[in-house]
Amino acid sequence: MAKIQRSWIVVVAIVAGLADVAITHRVMAATVEEIALMNRADRQKVLVEGAKKEGKVSWYTTLIVDQVVRPVKDAFEKEYPFLQVEFFRGNAERLVQKMLAEYQAKRYDVDIIDGTVSPTMVRRANLLQRFYSPMLAEYPADLKDAQGFWGTTNLYFFATGYNTRMVKPNEVPKTYEDLLNPRWKGQMMWSTSRGSGAPIFIGTILGTMGAEAGKTYLQKLKAQNIAKTTASNRQVLDLTIAGEYPLALQIFNHHAFISKSAGAPVDWQPHEPVTATIQTIALAKNSAHPHAAMLLLDFAMSERGQKVFQQSNYLPSHPKVPAKQVDLKPGNGRFKRAYYINPDAQYDKGNDWVDYFNNIFVK
Amino acid sequence: MAKQQSTKTIGVPLKTRTSGGLWSLGTTFNFDVATIVMIIVSVVTGYLVLPPLYSVIQTSLFTTKLTGEIDEFTLRYYQDLLRELQVIGPFLNTFYFSLGSALLATLLGGSIAWIVTRTDSPLRGLGYFTAFASFGTPFILYTIGWLLLLGRAGPVNYWLKTVLDQPGPVVNIYSLFGMIFIESLLWSPFVFLMLAATFRSMDPSLEEASSVCGARVWQTMRRISLRLMLPAFFSVMLLIFIRSFESFEIPALVGLPGDIRVLTTSIYLDAQKLPPKYGSAGAFSVLLMLVVAATLYFYFRITREGDRFHTVTGKGYRPKLINLGRWRYLTASALVFYSVVLLVLPFLIILWASLLPYYMQPSIEAMAKFTVKNYITALHFPKVTDAIKNSILLGLGSASAVMLLTLFASWLLVRTKMRGRWLLDLLTTLPLLFPGIVMGLAILRFYLFVPIPVYGTLWILLIAFVTRYIPYGIRYTHSALLQLHKELEEASYVSGASWFNSMHRIVVPLITPSFLGGWVFIFLLSAKELSMSVLLVSPQTPVVSVAIFELWENAQVGELAAFGVIWSAILVSIAVVYYLFARRYGVQQS
Repeated sequence: MAKIQRSWIVVVAIVAGLADVAITHRVMAATVEEIALMNRADRQKVLVEGAKKEGKVSWYTTLIVDQVVRPVKDAFEKEYPFLQVEFFRGNAERLVQKMLAEYQAKRYDVDIIDGTVSPTMVRRANLLQRFYSPMLAEYPADLKDAQGFWGTTNLYFFATGYNTRMVKPNEVPKTYEDLLNPRWKGQMMWSTSRGSGAPIFIGTILGTMGAEAGKTYLQKLKAQNIAKTTASNRQVLDLTIAGEYPLALQIFNHHAFISKSAGAPVDWQPHEPVTATIQTIALAKNSAHPHAAMLLLDFAMSERGQKVFQQSNYLPSHPKVPAKQVDLKPGNGRFKRAYYINPDAQYDKGNDWVDYFNNIFVK
Repeated sequence: MAKQQSTKTIGVPLKTRTSGGLWSLGTTFNFDVATIVMIIVSVVTGYLVLPPLYSVIQTSLFTTKLTGEIDEFTLRYYQDLLRELQVIGPFLNTFYFSLGSALLATLLGGSIAWIVTRTDSPLRGLGYFTAFASFGTPFILYTIGWLLLLGRAGPVNYWLKTVLDQPGPVVNIYSLFGMIFIESLLWSPFVFLMLAATFRSMDPSLEEASSVCGARVWQTMRRISLRLMLPAFFSVMLLIFIRSFESFEIPALVGLPGDIRVLTTSIYLDAQKLPPKYGSAGAFSVLLMLVVAATLYFYFRITREGDRFHTVTGKGYRPKLINLGRWRYLTASALVFYSVVLLVLPFLIILWASLLPYYMQPSIEAMAKFTVKNYITALHFPKVTDAIKNSILLGLGSASAVMLLTLFASWLLVRTKMRGRWLLDLLTTLPLLFPGIVMGLAILRFYLFVPIPVYGTLWILLIAFVTRYIPYGIRYTHSALLQLHKELEEASYVSGASWFNSMHRIVVPLITPSFLGGWVFIFLLSAKELSMSVLLVSPQTPVVSVAIFELWENAQVGELAAFGVIWSAILVSIAVVYYLFARRYGVQQS
């Protein structure tokens, strides 16, 4: 009797197992592409069902873990308690190298990748999957990819940071031209960083003034003897706070705001049009957890997700979500116009800007 | 034991032709311990070093596709490099920078090592503590400390300005001098640890003979001691010279703001282009490898008559401490000065920065703003305890593995007359020249393809670290063994000891100072390793150096400083505890 019972259990278990495999197979049969581009009424339901089986999503990010990745992870996991967000943090170059190497070895660890230029870099290697998200409709054309390869989560605006003890209010350089004042010769510093330093400053000048006028301006700026460092613009700003250089060019305006709030003798001055870069977010071509990945993409771009960015003092890219400190975004008092450096432009023209910087500004 | 004794011959100590016993399984082999060691050491070293070597050479000769795959053969990187070399300015700057750093670091570290090990100067323990503690400070933080101290608005310039009544800054840290100054301070603990070990195991009889003959202390030093130390001096200077030659951190942070360009500056700035290419970095290191290979070849020929440098012989061994008399006040103040410059000043400014909500120049009024906020932020860094645990484990693992491997490698280089052993010397020196990022990528790729499941684990980091630090281990063990006269081992063989026994009972105890020095050095070094770690860490295996790098790129200086202070404190405590423990229990003092 006992024997028969046991056999029954085995049979039932096998049948159940097969059924489970069949169901899983049916859901999994959808390719990453199908899931990513799915646009139908029950999309959310299908994604949630699929995500429940996947259980996790892996995010390669250039965002700061402590400041924003963790809050986003927590908020997302609260909404989808059956999902675990794993993240790997690095700068654009490292993330891309890691992803390229893994894909060459057919190891698909990454589901989501973000950054101001990293998604474009892997897209050029054909490692991204186009996707559809209902959230994309809420964004203007310059904050999403026309072909659907990326959306955005947040924005960065650049300004000149100055030490308020060393620079009197009436001296503060208001425009790009003001930076040419002999008063500032040898008094400015900037970072050599491609994505957040001198090269994109050059890009903005050439893009907004035109090639001829832009080059004339940059030649004059060269005579100002700007100190260069490979340190990040956060460190450049800290050197300005310390009094090493009165002016820090091309720093993030929110960094100056954070330090100013802490009492540091520093403020930021925008020059119109303000250089802006876009934090893009994208789906990996062979994502192993595509349902969960789509849910995370939706969430990060949704108003609710964008509020997490806002509360973390990041500048949300969603048009309806203002910055926590509203004047850090354009049109709210301190500056009107921003010159958005599209990730593709940064990728394609960035080398020229780096070259231009190396040839003109590095002796 | 007795079986092996019969076949040993003095002078050719390693022909342990064994018939029967451990090595043979029924058949008679003509076994030679040296050959076995050679095979094992070569296989392990080759396994570690050759894949990255291949990768570096390949990187320098091929373009890559957007997907990262190898594309076309090219000599462009070498052509670019040669064009770069024709511009005399950066080349000369590089040369002065490297030579200056090597000389100053050796002078600083060497003098302190001599005072600490060979004299009866007071405060000698301070030398060790200073070396450990300053070396335990994260590299970036140490440099920032000096920039804040000697910067245009820094306290040193402020005081000098007041005292000398000058309108502008007096000291310009953003200069060639500034670069050499910081670079040599960074390396002087290495020199100290290495030369202290060498000095301590020096045969005193030659010096005694010299002083008996009426030579003064400094004459003895110049004519006897310094000459005996030649291989050790050469070793450290070569190493620092190469490291400075290819370094870009100090040139970028200190030189670039002052428009001092070196050869690596343009490579570094060029590497910002997309897609990332490491060809120039690869070509640069291949060229350096050729230069170093030639240097090593000649160095090897010079030290072939290694007998000249044997300072530890069978006849008595404890070197006598030089009685300094009145001079000991001077040496004590030199130690204090060294400690203040190398450790106290940069550490105080970092501590200062860590206690402030934003950076302020040192003043009484700024002290009113003191806060522990940065420490709280630092302790909330994601996975901070995991990172600390991992970094310590990696440090212990790589220090032990490297020292063990290089002990055997050095023994082969010094004790045997095998042909082509300079190749082993070269093999163990090459990792010094691999650009960190290229080596990191090479190891990453290798373990993605090879079916050894270490990708994403701590093991891949351990493998990378061991490979990277072989050259440092070999410098320690090599110069230590060079000093050890072979008669000691021969005596041991004659008395019937096996090879293993004489290594264990004679060689290792006698070179323990060097061994420990190297161990601590590599422990501290691997705790700081960054360029490979950033690529090889996984979400599950965080390490401290990467956390510090993240803070350096994104956080305020105070948060970075707070994290650095905590980490240095941990590292230094471990190093000191280990050293005390090892000295007490590990070394046979008799």
